[in-house]
Amino acid sequence: MKTVLLPSDKTPFVSIRFLFATGSVDDPAGKEGLAALTGALLAEGGTRALTYEQLLDALYPMAAGIGVHVDREVTVVKGTVHRDHLDRYYELIRQVVLEPRFDAKEFERLRDDQRNALVSGLRASDDEGFGIESLASLLYAGHPYGRPVEGTVRGIDALRREDASVFHATRFTRDALTLGLAGKVPDGFVERVTSDLHALPERGASRAAPLAPASTRGFDVLVVTKPARAWAISLGHPLGITRADDDFFPLFLANSYFGEHRTFNGALMTKMRSDRGLNYGNYSYVEHFAQDGASTFTLPNVPRLRQAFTIWIRPVAAEHAHFAIRLAVRELRRLVRDGLTQETFEETRAFLLNYSKLWVQTPARRLGFAMDGAFYGGKNLVDELAERLPRMSVDDVNGAIRRHLLPENLNLAVIADPAEAAAFVDALASNVPSPIVYATTTKPEVLAEDREIAVEMLPVERHRCRIVPAAAMFEG
Amino acid sequence: MPGAGPHSTFPYPIVETVLDNGLPVVAVPLDTPGIAAHYVAVRTGSRNETEPGRSGFAHFFEHMMFRGTARMTPERYNDALKRLGADGNAFTTDDWTCYHVVASASALPTVMDLEADRFMNLRYSVEAFQKEAAAVLGEYNKNASIPWNALFEKLHDTAYTTHTYKHTTMGFLNDIEDMPNQYDHSLAFFERWYRADNAVLVVAGDIVPEKVFELARRYYGAWRPGVASLSTPVEPDQTIERTAHIPWAAPTLPLLAMAFHAPAFDPEDREGRALDVLAQAYFAPTSPLHKELVLDRQSVDWLSAGLEDRRDPGFFVVLARVKEAEHLADVRAAIERTLALAGSTPLTAERLAAVTSRVRYGFLSGLLTPDQVAATVCHYAQLTGEISAIDRSYVTLHAITANDVSRAAARVFSPANRTVVTLAPSDALGLA
Repeated sequence: MKTVLLPSDKTPFVSIRFLFATGSVDDPAGKEGLAALTGALLAEGGTRALTYEQLLDALYPMAAGIGVHVDREVTVVKGTVHRDHLDRYYELIRQVVLEPRFDAKEFERLRDDQRNALVSGLRASDDEGFGIESLASLLYAGHPYGRPVEGTVRGIDALRREDASVFHATRFTRDALTLGLAGKVPDGFVERVTSDLHALPERGASRAAPLAPASTRGFDVLVVTKPARAWAISLGHPLGITRADDDFFPLFLANSYFGEHRTFNGALMTKMRSDRGLNYGNYSYVEHFAQDGASTFTLPNVPRLRQAFTIWIRPVAAEHAHFAIRLAVRELRRLVRDGLTQETFEETRAFLLNYSKLWVQTPARRLGFAMDGAFYGGKNLVDELAERLPRMSVDDVNGAIRRHLLPENLNLAVIADPAEAAAFVDALASNVPSPIVYATTTKPEVLAEDREIAVEMLPVERHRCRIVPAAAMFEG
Repeated sequence: MPGAGPHSTFPYPIVETVLDNGLPVVAVPLDTPGIAAHYVAVRTGSRNETEPGRSGFAHFFEHMMFRGTARMTPERYNDALKRLGADGNAFTTDDWTCYHVVASASALPTVMDLEADRFMNLRYSVEAFQKEAAAVLGEYNKNASIPWNALFEKLHDTAYTTHTYKHTTMGFLNDIEDMPNQYDHSLAFFERWYRADNAVLVVAGDIVPEKVFELARRYYGAWRPGVASLSTPVEPDQTIERTAHIPWAAPTLPLLAMAFHAPAFDPEDREGRALDVLAQAYFAPTSPLHKELVLDRQSVDWLSAGLEDRRDPGFFVVLARVKEAEHLADVRAAIERTLALAGSTPLTAERLAAVTSRVRYGFLSGLLTPDQVAATVCHYAQLTGEISAIDRSYVTLHAITANDVSRAAARVFSPANRTVVTLAPSDALGLA
């Protein structure tokens, strides 16, 4: 067991996190979705002493919750509570982690919820999330990274209550655990928690070897069809590095220049939205990114052993989809060919040094980042950047770009309307020009560039394009 | 000076001044080393869109505020914010538009210079205007696959006949598609509403109030006052229940919204605060209805209710996501029974105490960062124009009795005041 402590007297709140190194990669074959359902049963299945209803009643006046987030590699049980309620709150979260109830009725409810999240949530009413998961299915074909944490429809249908209790007993173990405490932690509290955690088994079941870094050649294209007013597009390829590698940090800077999440500065955003009004936003990533609530910042505690470079093109009108893809690939080619200039490098470095400080404004987030640092065997990301960026050069960044970004080897996932999917694939595979016509006034230099974009060649081959109805995705 | 007093709910000191041009400036010093939030609330939202064909304009205008000034091109504005490493963006609601920047506290003079410049000297080309109109349509498109958005659009359109709350903040689709042709209207819109006396500046974080005021006088002092007058059309009393149904082409869990016209926000209004308590007591995860529908019968997977804080009469709305279309009618009946019960049977003292505690700690746990504090202060300031509204509304809330709750329920939840909108897959049964 590892422990990460960030005590502070400056806040009346205490944050507690139990991070277990188990996630959807540990789903048994045929039981895809088990890690997620086990996590849901911890959060909403009650404890041996308390039904879920009683647990809710006990938490309610504190305005505190017990959250469980399951990702590919890890599961985190977390909460923040005012110091006025710490003793009562801790007793509840202790029971949740150590003594879950696995109630039969809650099991039925939560399995149903999980199935719905996949069938009528992701596949039906979240085109952007669906595009991102569809891309993952190309990036990590045949591996648990290649499907949503919720699993598959068939996997979920096969889950039994006993599966969850066995999963808990064999995966929620001390050798898999990082304990995190932050904020107004009273004297003796750490010792109390540590001692309680001895109730967990010492060692867990062995884990499968991590996914080998994959290589992609050329383009693989997946067009998923469902009624869609506008089309969500995701592009990407696997990366051989994570935060545990030195090259990650210059690549992180390059990505910030190219497509920092939800900012207006990125090269992609400027070309696609500001100059052309193609859509609402365009961003890129060099690791898995989950947005923390309504903020623009990354959710901590979703670390992964394998990462990917991805581009997220928010829905575009169907008639602009081909053009938008060409433009994104063209910009990526330009990035790899030209790199950053000394000036754009310095601007981006100055940005990141300041911006990253905003990621850790609460004790709970500081704690999450510190625990991720422990996962990757380093410091928290913000401190890593503070140390590394001042020593970095533009050559380091451009070298990392050339070593790791592969514009000729991309996977492409598109959520498209069934009526137009086949024609779209034909146009893509035969590199038919896709001139764009605007209903709005456009700068002459943009129009001139558009003529080149419209004929930008993509290495798409017809036999590597698939059209799949939404209902067939993640069926199992 | 409200805040941090012995009976105050807001946990930090608030220091206020008003500039000569009428701009209120609010400073909230916090122990957040090195970080500060700069928020400007413009008290104009989709509520102000009284002209036919121009719905969605307040939100569209929010986009235009990022398109440059006489002094700064959008590229220079973005570059300047980028160098600061600031997190800046904006959002629009029915009632107001919020421009927010979080950055290092030492960047505050530059942030204020940049922000004040665009509030006073906005300038953009027709071309930039039209591209941004296309991005707004892109925003509508990205939301189009989300059934909740369609539900809210229909709910507003059905429940209101006259008031501008009839349209959502995004606006009617026809109007969004026509936005590229409204350049001149955008200039008029800025002239009317972007005035010092129609805004509130809030700075929270690692700051010294006197220095904030000095900067505000320097950078915002020349902002012209003279906001246009607005009379929103008065919504007549609803006299008969209204319903609507949306058939949905993709698979989805059916949705149900039940809304009642309810009072506008007023910190002293006991009925409004009683409805806040009621929403918690009867619909929170610890309520009997949640137990019945979500945990026991498992016919609903998500249930929520609340009174919207609005400048004009908004909704008390109950929302449910139902697992099967055939259960819509039962779920609707269960919600109606609960609302009737709320009007006839007073809450127990124990339940009332649990709700009050929940609301108090919920409020405190949402005030941890400069961002959260500034946003909360802006929310109350835009509603009433007065910062003291925060504590005054909590004083009212803590005084709410079980009788206040049942009286509010009996008055507001009449069938004639009710609008019900459902959404279900086209191949399902349909109306509840």
